[in-house]
Amino acid sequence: MNRTVLIIGIIIVGAIVFILFAGLGKDPQHIDSPLVGRQAPPFALRAVGTGETIDLESLRGKPVIVNFWATWCGPCFEEHPTLVANARNLPNVQFVGIVFNDTDDKIMRFLAERGSAYPTLLDANGKTAIAYGVGGVPETFFINPAGKIVAKFEGPLSTETLQENLAKALR
Amino acid sequence: MIATFFLLALMQIKVPDAAQFVGAPQGTPLTGPQLERRTMEISSELRCPVCQGLAIGDSPSQMAANMKAQVRELLERGYTEQQILSYFEKSYGQFVLLKPKFQGVNALVWILPVLALAAGFVLVVTKAKKLETAPEKVAAAPEETAEDPYLARVREMVEKQ
Repeated sequence: MNRTVLIIGIIIVGAIVFILFAGLGKDPQHIDSPLVGRQAPPFALRAVGTGETIDLESLRGKPVIVNFWATWCGPCFEEHPTLVANARNLPNVQFVGIVFNDTDDKIMRFLAERGSAYPTLLDANGKTAIAYGVGGVPETFFINPAGKIVAKFEGPLSTETLQENLAKALR
Repeated sequence: MIATFFLLALMQIKVPDAAQFVGAPQGTPLTGPQLERRTMEISSELRCPVCQGLAIGDSPSQMAANMKAQVRELLERGYTEQQILSYFEKSYGQFVLLKPKFQGVNALVWILPVLALAAGFVLVVTKAKKLETAPEKVAAAPEETAEDPYLARVREMVEKQ
């Protein structure tokens, strides 16, 4: 009886330790997006500064990089130069910034100080961010010319991670 | 809400709509206290994506407030609880549901507690059956120690008094 109890105990404790150990390497904020492989939710939002409306549907035919960010987000400061530089170097790729939970004046100041190379749209009530399953900023979606989301990247982009994910949109 | 709709239409602003994900509303539009109550109930079933295990109804974050406002709006438009949960699940995956669905690995969350309870019950019954036989041994013990010299000495001292 004691031996049986010991074996059962080892199995239970072993299973718990395995599950906890497997979870240690995971980012608790990471969410596998069910949107990857599906059509990107359509939106048409007002661009900060120009007031022009940018419709995602009108960008069909070329790869689109949609970057969700905010001026109150530290890592967004870090990745901004990467996005601006790549947007200037990749004229055949449409970059779009979507800012939520933020204000026009703060966004304008941010872009004036740090440069801008693509439209920045305001998601006033956060509905676009919710439809894209955005958990935190920055998050970036890579959309192929047919309008399908092919990759999602969480956190600040580097040129390597940007180009690695963009390659999926060009296949 | 109608004014907001016309204002957005005038500005040519279009945000992704629940109808594209879960179709037309299948319930009755809610208003007043019932709307508030159902908003709180459904908000307690959705996980705030920027918090540590908090429901959107309990979180002070702006993201949770946006999600809660959307729950409220969908109820106002007549979407059912199932449609609303499904809408958020289609954007965030099952992660967003605080009550995991009974499918795949998640099914273990429901099955394991029942199995543990059943195993505990079997263990208790087995132990109880063994205890039923134990009293005979306990009763036999005094007979064996009746001739204990220490006990005999105590009895002798008591009789003298």
